[in-house]
Amino acid sequence: MTFGPSRQAGRRRQAAVHARRTAAAVLATSLAVALSTASATGYSISLNPTPAEPPQATTATIAVSLSPDRAGARAALTLTIRYTGGEFGVPSAVRRSVLRFPAGMSLDIPSLRSCSAVRLRARGVSGCPARSQIGTGHALVETRAGSQIVTEDVALRAFLGPPQNLEPTFEILAQGYTPLEERVVFTGSVLTDSAPYGEQLDMSIPPVPTLPMEPDASIVTFSLTVGTSARRGTHGQNAVLVPSTCPFGGFPVAVEFTYADGSDGSARATIPCPR
Amino acid sequence: MLGAKTVTTRKVRIFLLVLVGCGCLIGAAFAFAAETFTATTYFNPDKLGSPTNLSARAVFSSDGTVPTPVNHVLAYGPAGLKIDVAGTGTCNKAKLEAEGPAACPADSRIGFGGGIGLEEIAKEIIEEPFTLDFFLAPKENGRLVILVYVQARSPVAIELVVVVKETHGPKPYGIGVELEIPPIPTLPGASYASVENSYFTVGSQHVAYYHLIHGKQQLVHVKGLIVPKACPKGGFPFKVIITYLDNTTSTDAYTAPCPPK
Repeated sequence: MTFGPSRQAGRRRQAAVHARRTAAAVLATSLAVALSTASATGYSISLNPTPAEPPQATTATIAVSLSPDRAGARAALTLTIRYTGGEFGVPSAVRRSVLRFPAGMSLDIPSLRSCSAVRLRARGVSGCPARSQIGTGHALVETRAGSQIVTEDVALRAFLGPPQNLEPTFEILAQGYTPLEERVVFTGSVLTDSAPYGEQLDMSIPPVPTLPMEPDASIVTFSLTVGTSARRGTHGQNAVLVPSTCPFGGFPVAVEFTYADGSDGSARATIPCPR
Repeated sequence: MLGAKTVTTRKVRIFLLVLVGCGCLIGAAFAFAAETFTATTYFNPDKLGSPTNLSARAVFSSDGTVPTPVNHVLAYGPAGLKIDVAGTGTCNKAKLEAEGPAACPADSRIGFGGGIGLEEIAKEIIEEPFTLDFFLAPKENGRLVILVYVQARSPVAIELVVVVKETHGPKPYGIGVELEIPPIPTLPGASYASVENSYFTVGSQHVAYYHLIHGKQQLVHVKGLIVPKACPKGGFPFKVIITYLDNTTSTDAYTAPCPPK
């Protein structure tokens, strides 16, 4: 994990301000004297009457791709979500997401093995059957602590969970190592959706604590690849089955979010029809 | 321009008690004349002999005045409280002052915090948020040095580095800290900056960094602050001696309950 100084310069200017305002004229006439005092004593003081920018709403964009991009193929599907906005430039944490996949697209799992969320939390990847893993990815999470925005790279692995009410479930193991070694498991269930979508993945995302008294971590980018491309010669592996026909305009994908600050959001994308 | 002496000194005294911390969850309410102060400090996890985070929060009531600033603090924790900084880096004070926290290595960071400061400008008390970033500095004479980067943004932008040095107290105390806080002028005709409330967390539970060891990148877990292995009868003792800007002093001592078994 790395601290994120590269994004901090701009964000530091958005530091919290809730102070009552005072007469700008009084401050301005006093500024020069104050600065001379400061420079002589080793710290900096300056007038900054500009109020803090109000928090921006968190927004998200998604991008989806198939590999190979061919009708009827066994493919790998990569979903990438980017979040922006939020207070101090850190997006609000996501608490729930509903991903809607195009009708006709399905996940083929030749060797059905599952792993429970309890087992995954307790023992990590090694605690689950290898064939229960259906995808991998990575995420970048952030939190604002002190004057800084702290970032951490997180490895993602998706697993097939035990069915609930005869519906399949999925789990995503998120594992970060530095600066905080932390493991979180998200769970989701697959439900039938209405046209033009086929199925939806409804996921609950628990708070990801950082340090006591500091905000929970927020996801900034999330990228997950599910299935294995047939190009890689991995016969018998999990794969996304690309429909043999493509609706006009492409395959629709949509996602809806509920954020920790109580707001909602959504994003849409289209996978172009295979050539 | 400065607030009433009695109010000021007591506010600051209790705030600095929080800075020292204690062995478990503590809630304390103090009432002085027209003012009330509440402090909460805790280890997380609160377990004997365990690496931990120390968190503290101090909330002050306001009687409409700005407290007299503190000039010097000497604080002792209980014997057996240890700090193991193996696996961490250090930050240079001059670089921190010149370039801000981004100049410090990520593995030198040991804590965060913030709060609301007070300043009186044109007979109006102004509340101003501030943040705290804690960094390890190179040891001096074998003793730990901590840099606290204090930053406020508006209406007056303030950046300040406070140096905290390790010290040791007489029995029953152990490791302690000593720091000097310079008077922080805001603007001519205005009071020195003071504090209404503050919070922070220092420590390293779950903190780890990659380091090159024998040619390989290895994840090194930082132990950091370690709760004493044993708790004396009656709890963990703490003591704080404060000198104010007008050279008066006050001393306070208290005992924190032992962690639950």
